[in-house]
Amino acid sequence: MNEKTKSMITEARDMAQNRGIMASINYHRENSHLMRIGNNSVSLNTSEELTRIDIEVIQGRKKGTHTHLGEIDSVDELFNTILKVSEKAGKSAEMDFEPVLTVIEANVETEAQYDEALDNLNPSVKEQVYSAIFKNVGEDYNYSGSWSSGSTETFSVTTANKNSAWHRLTDQQFMCVLKHPEKMWELASWQTGTKAGDVTAEVTINEFKSILPTYENREGFGVEPGNYKVVLGSQAIGELIGMTVWIGCAGRMWEMKMGWTADKNIGDNILHPSVTVLDDPTSDQIFSEPLSDSGMLTRTQTMIDKGRFAGLLYDRNTASKYGKKATPNAGCLVMRPGDGPSDFLEAVRDIDRVLYIPAIHYMNMPNMSKGIFTGSSRFSAVLVEKGKIVSPIFSSRITDQFENIFGNVLAISSETVSVNTSNTYGRRAPSAVSVPTWMLIDDVKITDCADSF
Amino acid sequence: MSIFNDLKEAVTRNIGRVMNAGAQYSDARWYEDDSSEMLMLLDGNLEGNDTTVESGLGVRVLYGGAWGFAAISQTADIDTCFDRAMANAISASKLVKVKLDMGKKPGHTGSYTSPFKIDPIDVSLSDKVDFLKSVDDSLTEDWILRRMIRVQMQRMIIHFWSSEGTYTQKKLINTFAHMTAMALDKDKQMQRRSKTLYCETEGTRGWEMLTNPALWSGHADRVKTELKEVLTAPELEYGKRSVILLPGQGHLQVHETIGHPLELDRILGYELSYAGGSFVNLDSFGKLKYGSDKLTASAYGSITNSPGSFGFDAEGTPERDYLLIDKGILVNCLTSRAMISEANQRAGREVFTESGGASRSTAFYRAPIDRMTNVNILPGDDGTLEDIISTTEDGIIVDNPTSWSIGSNREHFHFGCEIAWEVKNGRITRVLRNPSYQGHTVEFYNNLTAVGDESTWVVEQVENCGKGEPNQVMELGHGLPVVKFDNVISGERK
Ligand SMILES: [Zn+2]
Repeated sequence: MNEKTKSMITEARDMAQNRGIMASINYHRENSHLMRIGNNSVSLNTSEELTRIDIEVIQGRKKGTHTHLGEIDSVDELFNTILKVSEKAGKSAEMDFEPVLTVIEANVETEAQYDEALDNLNPSVKEQVYSAIFKNVGEDYNYSGSWSSGSTETFSVTTANKNSAWHRLTDQQFMCVLKHPEKMWELASWQTGTKAGDVTAEVTINEFKSILPTYENREGFGVEPGNYKVVLGSQAIGELIGMTVWIGCAGRMWEMKMGWTADKNIGDNILHPSVTVLDDPTSDQIFSEPLSDSGMLTRTQTMIDKGRFAGLLYDRNTASKYGKKATPNAGCLVMRPGDGPSDFLEAVRDIDRVLYIPAIHYMNMPNMSKGIFTGSSRFSAVLVEKGKIVSPIFSSRITDQFENIFGNVLAISSETVSVNTSNTYGRRAPSAVSVPTWMLIDDVKITDCADSF
Repeated sequence: MSIFNDLKEAVTRNIGRVMNAGAQYSDARWYEDDSSEMLMLLDGNLEGNDTTVESGLGVRVLYGGAWGFAAISQTADIDTCFDRAMANAISASKLVKVKLDMGKKPGHTGSYTSPFKIDPIDVSLSDKVDFLKSVDDSLTEDWILRRMIRVQMQRMIIHFWSSEGTYTQKKLINTFAHMTAMALDKDKQMQRRSKTLYCETEGTRGWEMLTNPALWSGHADRVKTELKEVLTAPELEYGKRSVILLPGQGHLQVHETIGHPLELDRILGYELSYAGGSFVNLDSFGKLKYGSDKLTASAYGSITNSPGSFGFDAEGTPERDYLLIDKGILVNCLTSRAMISEANQRAGREVFTESGGASRSTAFYRAPIDRMTNVNILPGDDGTLEDIISTTEDGIIVDNPTSWSIGSNREHFHFGCEIAWEVKNGRITRVLRNPSYQGHTVEFYNNLTAVGDESTWVVEQVENCGKGEPNQVMELGHGLPVVKFDNVISGERK
């Protein structure tokens, strides 16, 4: 963003301050690019350059918010929009608690995770990486995938003080799916990063080449419903721990008695002692977030400490509503590693039968109070006997509880990996979790299995 | 209208420019106005009071058999936007195995406006809040722990130009609403019962739809009564039985296991890296026994009042009413122009004759993909809900999803629901708690044994269907009657 836009926003903030309006103004600019692959071709190649301005106005126990995506070019236009939101807040209904304005704790200017080369990555780089994968792994397979990259720049001010926060970062999320055109099984490879060069063809080529012989030479295995020892891979752990913590450790969910921890208290032992989960903005495996929604400088917080319920995360409005203190949330979920070997096959070599499920497709929650989730295996899932991969497994459904999955832990990898959890609904908002590369769990409920992959 | 004229001039000039530079096809969508408003009362507090205004331009260029897309919110840079779309298409064309082709169509012009009486965006905030507060009041009881009222309103004015000379203009109005009441049951589990605003097939979809008590607000008492029954009800035991889906649940069943597997881009493998594939392939059309003879499903369905009715799709194709499944046999799917061209090319025969008008995008900054319009099950001849209950020996009736999880090729599924009524020997015996059911799609639809008549038919609205990369949320409709399936695994294995 240019200095002119910055000064337009701060000037509008000052005008609002002078009028006694309680407002926050958040500028969000994204430069997004996405290459989509389908049937060994680039099926879509997109660029979006979008600027949004979010305005929130609070009047006593009333509030209003507005987002403008389009052209705002002058201080007067921006200030008029603030006035409109202020009018809207005035016509809103009183709440039984006072909404809180974001108070930016200190001036922030950070672009530690910004890389100009990634921001301006030529789409031909992506096309070349995919081409190299197709050529090296074999052009007879069907490939699809997507590769999103770009930059997000935010600038925030509020009328609470004269501070401002500017943050710019780049991120990329790469995925490639290999499907056998007749046998129909699918393998997947994921990569993530903040700099150009973080994604390479070699990583995916090696991943595919290492698992392909098992798939090529063995028939699919139908898993009878029942309880199994299961090794979850990082994608599955990332999604599961996110859901477990969001439902169980968000102050709002706990106060509303919505989630699986509703009848638990801080200090209770709720998961296996090997499970520790933090909100950690200092991890180098997540995308940085300098400020919490309440404007605090983000700091490391512990939600689950060696299986013990250690803390809840409060956003500013939940804190106000329930008379609690807002916490400096970064939304940077980190699950600590264990002491298992880096290769999960080594960890399961004395076990007769284990299912390896690297990712869970379409997870949902039939019962939040009991922490019941359901989802099915998809990419690269295999049956393992005595530490040897035996065969790929057909699409199998897990329906179980968070307390079992993170309670019946037998071993956790000593290595962690960054799992990119960003989506591209709405605005660009990179997010990632840091999780162990695998986790071995006892007594996981498999409740259904298809006769296909 | 000078903004419009300036924009039109710049867009048509740029379309000409990229066509002269070798593009096969190009189109542009200008969202003059994309306004939405969300209001949410949580336990009586207006915690959501949010408006969004978006406007901008999205441009597609097809070059060398590959798509390039670019979007800008600053319409001063229209030339740059076309340059980017063209550059993206050129770079994409370097890695193309099957060249995409739109087929040839003559240009046309047209306009469409959703049927509405009162533009919901224009209603004053105080009137909106007063109405929602009154609905919230009717949901309030001492024993109810959580109440949520959520309303989403949309107004879009969209202009479309293509290199074939097509120009269409649309004004779309949508109104969505949900009410949910929650309370803790005898085991301290949070239970919920909800009601979503539905449509009359030929009604109007402005503010007046929301305030029609028959379609939404008048259901508050029933929501409360049924929630109270759930709180003390026994759990549904695991077992095989008949499952009767009320439209509040049936629409999601249709959405996930007829709608999504019948999107042609998905069938062709263009969604594999995100949403997944489909168990349907090009050989399935005209052959696959998708369901029993009682299953007839349509696309669009000439429903005038639905979020899935929009006059012209994002390629300017007029909406079209046609069958997807005819008496159990799969006959067609949800299609756009480039996808049917590729499908026919791949199959070496004409599987599809014309676009189904299902090319849609969520906003100016997303490229259109194949989406559901209205995907419907047509009414049958098995009478009313009571008639269907009377012929059921051992079953449950279920309503409203709490959870949905579907296999990546849509070949299997698991649904959790808010409430079940047990049916034994032709009558309802009691309410059951925490119902769920699962199945394998083709086997399930072949066990469709009863389809209700017109009296059981409603059009349910879906406002948040997710698909595509970059991701896109889409709104659509499902018209359907009460339906019954036999031999369904329901409840959870202990
Ligand atoms: Zn959907």
